[in-house]
Amino acid sequence: MALKKAAKKTEPAGPPQLLWRRDGASCLVTNDFGQYAWLKKKDFDLLLAGRLGGKHPRYAALADKGFIRDRLDFDGLAAKWRSKNAFLNSGPGLHILVLTLRCNHKCLYCQSAAAGPGARDTDMSAATAKKCVDFAFQSPNPGITIEFQGGEPLLNWEALKAAVLHARGKAKKTGKNLSLALVSNFSLMTEEKAQFLMEQEVSICTSLDGPADLHNRNRVFCGGNSHAATVKWLKFFQARHARQVPEYRVFKPSALLTVSRYSLGRHKEIIDEYVKAGLEDVFVRPLAPIGYAKNLWGQIGYEAKDFADFYLKSLDYILKLNRRGVVIREKMAAMMLDKIVNARDPGYLDARCPCGAAIGQIAYNYNGDLYTCDEGRMVGWEGDDAFKIGNVRKDTYRKVLTSGAARACVLSSNLESQPDCARCAYKPYCGVCPVYNYEAQGSLWGDMATNDRCGLFKGIFGALFALLKKPGNETILKNWVGK
Amino acid sequence: MTKKQNKGGLVADAAVYSAEALQLAAFVYSDRAEISIKAGKGVFNVSFCGEAPGFHPGDYMNEVLNQQCRLDLAKQNSKAAGMIATKALLSAAGGTKKKA
Amino acid sequence: MNKKPAAKTKVSVSLKKYPIETVRYAAHAVSCAARVFIRTAGRDTAVAEFEPTGRLPGAKIAAAFRAELADEALRASVYAANRELRDFMILKALSAQAAPPPRQDDSGLTPEQEKELDALIAQVESEIKQEAASGAASDPLGITRTWEDKYGAKKSRKKN
Repeated sequence: MALKKAAKKTEPAGPPQLLWRRDGASCLVTNDFGQYAWLKKKDFDLLLAGRLGGKHPRYAALADKGFIRDRLDFDGLAAKWRSKNAFLNSGPGLHILVLTLRCNHKCLYCQSAAAGPGARDTDMSAATAKKCVDFAFQSPNPGITIEFQGGEPLLNWEALKAAVLHARGKAKKTGKNLSLALVSNFSLMTEEKAQFLMEQEVSICTSLDGPADLHNRNRVFCGGNSHAATVKWLKFFQARHARQVPEYRVFKPSALLTVSRYSLGRHKEIIDEYVKAGLEDVFVRPLAPIGYAKNLWGQIGYEAKDFADFYLKSLDYILKLNRRGVVIREKMAAMMLDKIVNARDPGYLDARCPCGAAIGQIAYNYNGDLYTCDEGRMVGWEGDDAFKIGNVRKDTYRKVLTSGAARACVLSSNLESQPDCARCAYKPYCGVCPVYNYEAQGSLWGDMATNDRCGLFKGIFGALFALLKKPGNETILKNWVGK
Repeated sequence: MTKKQNKGGLVADAAVYSAEALQLAAFVYSDRAEISIKAGKGVFNVSFCGEAPGFHPGDYMNEVLNQQCRLDLAKQNSKAAGMIATKALLSAAGGTKKKA
Repeated sequence: MNKKPAAKTKVSVSLKKYPIETVRYAAHAVSCAARVFIRTAGRDTAVAEFEPTGRLPGAKIAAAFRAELADEALRASVYAANRELRDFMILKALSAQAAPPPRQDDSGLTPEQEKELDALIAQVESEIKQEAASGAASDPLGITRTWEDKYGAKKSRKKN
């Protein structure tokens, strides 16, 4: 490690660029390289004054982390920055194909702007699906993930099948690393379809909102019991995952939780349900006032502080279960911890700088229209094409990626251009969402001083850093993201 | 001085708020009120009409402050911001080589 | 519903001690709790006025504002002392990355756009390769320009 020695000088060097957040008698300091340290107030004052000398017990550790200006390891720190921001070099890796807007569920919060099961004019044709796959493979990213969504994508099985087979062929031809994923409510799953999906190594994700009464209240299924179908197929895929076959890999299924107003106060039951279903991750996601959910906010929404309370209680309960030996983690916290503890990018597109809109993901609507992200597509469904970046049949890849909306999202989600973020101690791990800002505050930039998403993220980071201070929790949390 | 000039307007100190920040905030608030800005001597006269229910001039001024802070930051930080955004866009667009 | 507006709290700040940018940011940092108005009073003083919007009383908002002023002044000095070093580190990190694969032949851009993009790319390439932290801040993609400057006024949200 080539450390640069300080030149002789009369005045002590101040600190290198750092960010801080005061918390009572201590202070959290972070830097661009994703490093952090908790300091007592007097040590923080010494650091700021450039008077934290070589004999100080924290000196060596702080120097290693890039907090001592005349002991900066330029090569090592640049490598850390590069690794943390590796996505800046890769281009869109996630490609979301909305195979149909039709759905047989009528979920209270549905953001997918689903059309009724009979509205076949909102199906993606097999030809368009193949075009979308071709388009996705033009990304310079060596790893391409194609995620099939809806509506309920199993309602358009032929297009799904065609896209899967076409993508596998493209991957073989191009040598790219292909991952395929399906997000389904499972109500139309059959053994035949499941077999095809497993053989093609498609990973499976569903929605599970908690115990049957809560799940079925949130996720209304006119044709039956949504919860029963979900649990049945989760078990099926888990069993198949457990007894692998040599011909192909069967992935462990996963589930997404959406927290509605009815979920508040039921964190224990929800997490227990996940454990019971054999799931090892629960992604406690808030409702976002985007698209359809925005119009229904008065009925199903809640205040940010209510969600924050729910989230923190959930995290606390999960840690309690972990101490009892139960394997379960909260996914958002795990992704943030990966950034904090391992200084690496876990691929969480919502918390990147700039965010993943267009440069990390593209949403392909049923008709081939392209959006910066799935949230941008939902805004489009409400009649506002601010986030539309082109059409898969009309526009070339390069034109789409240099479109006005793509650029605008990159610029507005660049934390270096956000006044609050540029000063925030959590900046090295965080990200803003232009679509959320646009929908909630009327501009792509938003105003972080009053932004609920920002408030929520600050609450999560605050809780995680506080937990990391306590050795017992630290061990558990670090295990979540062990290398 | 930033104070109420009359029921439908206020006066913003030009030493504190720039015309650009006032205009950007007016754009953000364009679905809540029609906001017009006129330059005076060392001040901007801001008037409102067609206000939506719940509109408050003070909320608009908070947005002006937000925009002003953003403009302040851009003056300081544009090099770092530019490098990151440019790299992200060019990488995603697929290469930096010219056509043969 | 006519709510009585909350009483305003005023704080005077010496512009000799704190530049107006520092005052603006410190005021913005507490704007989650109050409507904020700033004005100058003579050449050397700024007055920040806070009208609480929530439960936090004016006195506490004023105290938070004063604490932010002190912290913001520290931030500004740390930033000023490290600006070039920081730009250099970012440039160093970016320039060491592998070049992405060449672009497609058919770009779909007009010749004018192609020309513009090529010029832009050349500018950025030379900047990234040079690793020279000195010189004027470049803004090849119009980073400092606003969304509104580039893309005009808001569109109607009505469906077609």
